[in-house]
Amino acid sequence: MKRRTFIQGLAAFGVVGAMPLPLSRAFAASAASPVSVKDLPALEGDLTLYLGRGEGGLYENVLQSIEKNNPKLNLSIRRGPTAALGNMIVAEAKAGVKRADLFWAVDSGAIGLITDAGLAKPLPSDLAAQLQPQFRYPGWAPVTGRIRTLPYNTKRLSKDDIPDSIMAIADSDLSIGWAPAYASFQSFVTAMRILEGEDKTAKWLKKVQKRSKTYAGELGVVMAVERGEVDIGFANHYYTLRLKSGKPDANLDLAFTNQDAGCLVNASGVLSLTDNPNAMNFMRYLLSSEVQSYLAREAYEIPLIQGIEQPAGLPALTDVSPPKIDLTQLADLRPTLDLMRSSGVL
Amino acid sequence: MKLALNTVKTLGLSLVLASTFIAQPVLANGPIGEHVNHLKENLKDYSDDVEWMINKVDIMVSDYESKGAKAVKSDDLIEYWESVKFHSAIETNYVPVYASIWQSIYGIKMAIDDKKPAAEVRTHQKALNAALWQGLGAVKLAADFQQKGLLKAVKATASEEMTQSATIDEIKHKLDRVVAKYAERLSDEATQIVHDTYLHLFEGVEGTLIEKDAKLVEVLEKDFNVTLPKAISDKGSVDQVRAVVVDMQEKLDRAKVLLEEAEKARKDVF
Repeated sequence: MKRRTFIQGLAAFGVVGAMPLPLSRAFAASAASPVSVKDLPALEGDLTLYLGRGEGGLYENVLQSIEKNNPKLNLSIRRGPTAALGNMIVAEAKAGVKRADLFWAVDSGAIGLITDAGLAKPLPSDLAAQLQPQFRYPGWAPVTGRIRTLPYNTKRLSKDDIPDSIMAIADSDLSIGWAPAYASFQSFVTAMRILEGEDKTAKWLKKVQKRSKTYAGELGVVMAVERGEVDIGFANHYYTLRLKSGKPDANLDLAFTNQDAGCLVNASGVLSLTDNPNAMNFMRYLLSSEVQSYLAREAYEIPLIQGIEQPAGLPALTDVSPPKIDLTQLADLRPTLDLMRSSGVL
Repeated sequence: MKLALNTVKTLGLSLVLASTFIAQPVLANGPIGEHVNHLKENLKDYSDDVEWMINKVDIMVSDYESKGAKAVKSDDLIEYWESVKFHSAIETNYVPVYASIWQSIYGIKMAIDDKKPAAEVRTHQKALNAALWQGLGAVKLAADFQQKGLLKAVKATASEEMTQSATIDEIKHKLDRVVAKYAERLSDEATQIVHDTYLHLFEGVEGTLIEKDAKLVEVLEKDFNVTLPKAISDKGSVDQVRAVVVDMQEKLDRAKVLLEEAEKARKDVF
């Protein structure tokens, strides 16, 4: 019996998402390497997805391929800003309504809203086993990651000129570009607040503010670094990779800090809200080698399952040393915004 | 004739796009009435609105001409415009004309408040009348599109799939709204639309775009974050803000071509 047929058989009996533990473990052991969509069960019947707006149309392309290859799937999609959809799911649950089977969010903060409310279904062990160990969570699956980086101007600095501690950056004499109103930056400050405490974070913000120039978005930050308006910036990794792709001679490279919020690896994520077996199987498609490779190739996002090639220009995830942090804690944004406001940054 | 046909085609496309991408239609002057989803049934009312508006403005300008500024209340112009149903019909269907209507209303009001010669007031009145008739034509065309099922209902949330190239159309539409809000003397709202459009729409496409034309992204970044907000905060004329927007829209047309090329070149996920 071919593997696809075997899994389809299990799916038909509705047992893939609810395998008895020993079998689930046995399957997990074999699924630790990337799984191809060819080996996944066909999706049939209804499925409602709440989709946070993400990387332009790239997530849409993923959905189109899943639908095209699963003609018996009746997929309903509600699109909107990730945070708004997260709040909507919580509000719907409070009202006793469950419209969404699945939530695909562009950041883990919104995922935290749902998991904190106890609305996420447990992740089957075979799904969790595909993820790199540090990205395994009981109620949700990170889909792809993005690293906080320090883009720097290569005409003005060498990598050695840049401290490898995010806290030390505040005491350096480097000019800095940042985008405090940007969601990714605020998640980074949340991570710093959790790791270093409010006092240290407030002092860091105030010190950095004195030598920083503010931009609306992080691509703007990276472009300003490249132009030499500032020495370094705070930004997610993909802006630099994309700019260098369009402008190969850009005066730009990436530096990383070490085991602190400065090299946080944040993630988009997906979770199931109902017992609809299609929901967990749909998640398997998102973690498939084809989808992971596509998002790495086209969106420069970092695959979080084992054995997929990373976007060119980045060190291997194993060579970056992100802090240990439960990404769902990044949902606790309110104290961060209060801190940024009281520090005069927002 | 060919030119007229092209104008109609362009207007038709604008109408479809405007209707497709209206995301949150609760406007500064209150919520849009359900009538905008039934344009055909309301054409008589809209036509009456336009004639009523033109007549009321003409009475005011004539009074100004014959009796002077003390004889008129220029604030009434805004009340006239906000009281007619046609207001939201044009706002939901053809934003550039909506902006021109506000621009002309304020042109008349400011000329009266500044006690300018009646001839100058009449110039603005003439522009207002032209914009109102043009607007009525646009709504009639939109009504035909709606009858044929080519116009989607105005909804509270965007739920349609949107490609990156289609996002450019929405960005252009939002920029039209910036001009409209500025013409409406709602500068803070206009600035907020610029900011939101950058963060929620342009930001989503500039990653792909920068791989195709880094210089174009750089220029548009500056337009979104410096040039257009500055044009608004400098409190220049509506035409000055519109000129910045038109320039941005031309660059966005170039961006759309590049994004369409990228979409065509993109391989299936699996």
